[in-house]
Amino acid sequence: MVTLGDYLLVSGLLFTIGFAGVMLRRNIIIIFMSLELMLNAANLSLVAFSRFRVQPDGLPNYHAQVFVFFIITVAAAEVAVGLAIIVALYRARRTTHVEDIATLKF
Amino acid sequence: MPPFLFWFFALMTLGFGAGVIINRSPIGSALSLVLSFIGLSTLFLSLNAYFISVIQVLVYAGAVMVLFLFIIMLLDLRAEERRKINVVAFAGGAAVALALFVQVYRIIGALGAARQAFPPLRSGNTDDVRRVGLLLFANYNLPFQIVGVLVLVATIGVIVLSKRELR
Amino acid sequence: MDMNYLELLKLASPEAIVVATALAVLAVGLTSKNAPVLCSTVGVLGLILAAAEVFMLPFNATLFHGMLVISPLASLFKVICLTLAFFTVILARSDRSSRHHGEYLALLLLATIGLMLLVGSEELLMIFIGLELTGLALYVMTAFDKTDIRSAEAGLKYFLFGSTASAFTLFGLSLVYGMCATTGLAAIAQKLVAQPLSPLLAAGIVMTLIGFAFKIAAAPFHLWAPDAYQGAPVSSAAFIASGSKVASFVVLGKIVLVGFGPAHGSAAWHAMVAGWMPVLAVLAALSIVLGNLVALAQSNVRRLLAYSAVAHAGYTLLGLVAGGREGFSATLFYTTVYAFTLVGAFGVVALVRRETGGDDFVNFSALWSRSPLLAGCMAIFMLSLAGLPPLAGFFGKFYLFSAAMRAGENHGLLWLVALALFGSLISLYYYLIILKVIFSEPALSEVERGHQNLEHPGQPRGRLREGGDFLQRTTVAVLAIAVLFFGILPGALLARIIAALP
Repeated sequence: MVTLGDYLLVSGLLFTIGFAGVMLRRNIIIIFMSLELMLNAANLSLVAFSRFRVQPDGLPNYHAQVFVFFIITVAAAEVAVGLAIIVALYRARRTTHVEDIATLKF
Repeated sequence: MPPFLFWFFALMTLGFGAGVIINRSPIGSALSLVLSFIGLSTLFLSLNAYFISVIQVLVYAGAVMVLFLFIIMLLDLRAEERRKINVVAFAGGAAVALALFVQVYRIIGALGAARQAFPPLRSGNTDDVRRVGLLLFANYNLPFQIVGVLVLVATIGVIVLSKRELR
Repeated sequence: MDMNYLELLKLASPEAIVVATALAVLAVGLTSKNAPVLCSTVGVLGLILAAAEVFMLPFNATLFHGMLVISPLASLFKVICLTLAFFTVILARSDRSSRHHGEYLALLLLATIGLMLLVGSEELLMIFIGLELTGLALYVMTAFDKTDIRSAEAGLKYFLFGSTASAFTLFGLSLVYGMCATTGLAAIAQKLVAQPLSPLLAAGIVMTLIGFAFKIAAAPFHLWAPDAYQGAPVSSAAFIASGSKVASFVVLGKIVLVGFGPAHGSAAWHAMVAGWMPVLAVLAALSIVLGNLVALAQSNVRRLLAYSAVAHAGYTLLGLVAGGREGFSATLFYTTVYAFTLVGAFGVVALVRRETGGDDFVNFSALWSRSPLLAGCMAIFMLSLAGLPPLAGFFGKFYLFSAAMRAGENHGLLWLVALALFGSLISLYYYLIILKVIFSEPALSEVERGHQNLEHPGQPRGRLREGGDFLQRTTVAVLAIAVLFFGILPGALLARIIAALP
């Protein structure tokens, strides 16, 4: 039997994988992809809760699915802006590596 | 969905998700990401979220991934040459990620509700596009319009940032 | 549910006016020959109109289960956000990135809409969308100056940290939603009263707060701030430090005090109880210590302001940790005064940068002899940040710390207040260093100044006065007078804030 906990575990693992990618990888494009994994982990847990919190009329809780719809839209817009920033940076610096960007110190 | 199918697609999602961060070449990562999201959309399907499952494939495999590949090609990014790994930063990052994983695992293990099966659904509920749409245009009308503004921001931003300046 | 477009338009009319203004500015910028002046004029007029429209709104109204709330608090802070945007539009005139001035102002106005939605919403989805709208516009505004390499880098860092933080917030929100099955703040509070704090819910709350800690630049989530403050166009930095911060504190206050209210726990020394209060208390303590200590080592005014912003985020969190009506009002008063001070300070930075081509300490040396007005205003801003009477920063800190002292039994927050006082003492030192540079060091010789300009080609050389400057100078002076005024008569603002709190 597959339970809510199993879905949440997969979601939590996916979030952790994404976060590990953000922390460990130095290539900005791959960091962006890892961010997408993190956002989608949130989507998975929302959809799992949508199925778990069944309404009195026997239907899934569609509010959570609407939430996911908005997240997908926002995530797509975010990727577009992020990639545009990369393009602007690449024109100036010819790099997509975090470590090569050191004009501004920490 | 039978448990073995769930675990198959869960492993697909997680395995290719790990592939994203392990792959050296950005193209390999991008393709792993698509496969991971296809696994994820199957999981959505198993949760009776048909509409979300379809737009997951349409938006990510169709739009976002093309954008990623386009940028990778445009900037002509090759596989990463082996760089010296900054050991301290790597260990720190790995430690934080591991701590996060342990927390997530413990918390979800401790959750009482997590062990319950999903409650049964009314049979024949396949009109979820209509229901999500109704909610979207009635209860969530305002955020829907604001998302329009957000997309406008993204459009202006992308055009201004990626435009080559005429000297 | 009954939904009427006309009613929606009526209640969201200030936001609608700002959207229309943004589109108009965009159109003017694309078509007009004399674009920068016209764009700014249209933008300023639109903001004034929107602020006037806020006063026309009904006193109390709620749409869509809290997605759009009209309340005295929301209206007051909508006006404050519009005012900050107004000053930023005027400051933006002195930026060099005037090639796409229309687009820049349009993004600024659209970011303002995000802020207005944030202060006027009590629903998680709407808050998330407001955060993202503001965030996206600010990322682009940070990376906007393509003549400066640091701008794109600052934009990238801001984007990376911001997106990671919003992924955390989102995951947290999904858990909170899952456990409470609702997204309205008031409804969440009801659910929290009914059930004990489960580990999953606690994780959701902590992850949500992490995202906000990033927004307000609290340590250890502040790493983007110094780069964004230094690398971004000055007016973008001013808006990030002012408008974005005020709205974030308003919405953070609403989330923790209204939504997560029942799960507050306790941050009292030796009596910590799990909840959001200890989380915020730890963030506050870290921010105060780290912000002040690192600020000591800076030699660039904008970076110094960034690290001091981290410390100020720590002070401001004190009010939320204290909780209750008094604590929240102290937080709101402090963050408002701080926002106006920082817009003014960045105004001075913008003018000095335009004149000397940089914003390191050396560019400020002997500002007094070059422009007594700017030097005097900067002195007011810095002393107010340091918290000296009779300036607004003094009263803000006094009220904040006393609210924290009175909260809880046995002065449980004494440790935080002591830390904050210690931090203020350190901060006095680095603010005084800036003033020493401004007032006593000899002027740069023309040769040195010319050298500075060689490092930043394409900038006007040592030009002191210019036609466009008049407005900016007036703005800075008005802001300095406001900081003085709110220090002498804090009741003028505070009474309004307290009256607006439910």
